Amino acid sequence: MRALSQSRRGTLLHVTPRHNGGVPDVVESPLDVRSADPEHSTRDDRPWIVLVWNDPINLMSYVTLVFQKLFGYSLEKATKLMLDVHEKGRAVVSQGSREKAEIDVYRLHEHGLWATMQKDDSGQL
Amino acid sequence: MRSNGPVTRNDDGTYCLSVDGSDRDVLNDLFGQFREVLTDGQDSETVKRLFPTAYHQDPQHDEEYQRLMRTELLTSHVHSIDHVRQLFQQSSRAETITLSQPDLDAFMKATNGIRLLLGTMLAVSEDDHDDIDESDPTFGQHQLYAYLGWLLDWMVSAQAGVFPVTDNSPG
Repeated sequence: MRALSQSRRGTLLHVTPRHNGGVPDVVESPLDVRSADPEHSTRDDRPWIVLVWNDPINLMSYVTLVFQKLFGYSLEKATKLMLDVHEKGRAVVSQGSREKAEIDVYRLHEHGLWATMQKDDSGQL
Repeated sequence: MRSNGPVTRNDDGTYCLSVDGSDRDVLNDLFGQFREVLTDGQDSETVKRLFPTAYHQDPQHDEEYQRLMRTELLTSHVHSIDHVRQLFQQSSRAETITLSQPDLDAFMKATNGIRLLLGTMLAVSEDDHDDIDESDPTFGQHQLYAYLGWLLDWMVSAQAGVFPVTDNSPG
């Protein structure tokens, strides 16, 4: 492959990052969390949601496949979620108990996707 | 075979990897570098991309999560790398390598991990185009980044329709 033959071996993964390490900037979330606030205790039964955030590196096809693989989504649903991530900056990809959300976040991190979890303030998946 | 490319799916559910020996050597060397960077430089800004925040806007819970899960995530990344390196070493002179689903899974995750690292180092953005001048000192790395994307896209294509739909909720 031309790409590989022109690549210098030995130092390919040792360059200085140009800015913030490539972690996408976090936009202010309308789904802000107030989990420890006693005034919100009546809403403690809110499910946890898992969000995937847009980043400029992961391939769209790869993100779609990961959604299918991890969550059993149809190609159509996985593609819609991927496009939401790409165009809106994020998408809610799963919801449930805190334990389930932590497992989902971990599995997404294993696949290199930038996923976070928080209490659901929107009432919708 | 269901497609023509460096990664194709066989009728028995395995996959065929057709990457020539010299490219495989470079990939194997890269996986070794990736492992070294992960295990030696977890605190670098570049590597942080592979260990993202879990609790959005909740540093206290995130600290606890990272304390419990970071080592496990590192182990998972390293396991994928070692899995692929072992495969390459076992098949170093073979023209093609037959991959099981777990083999391809590890190869895909390790390849995507290197791509994330490279893309972060190169500060890749949505607006980037393939117009890096050959005199640019990062030209080779951009070429490699593009190659890994091409290879990863073939891995994804080869798995089309493989994963069963288990979620029937509207959406």
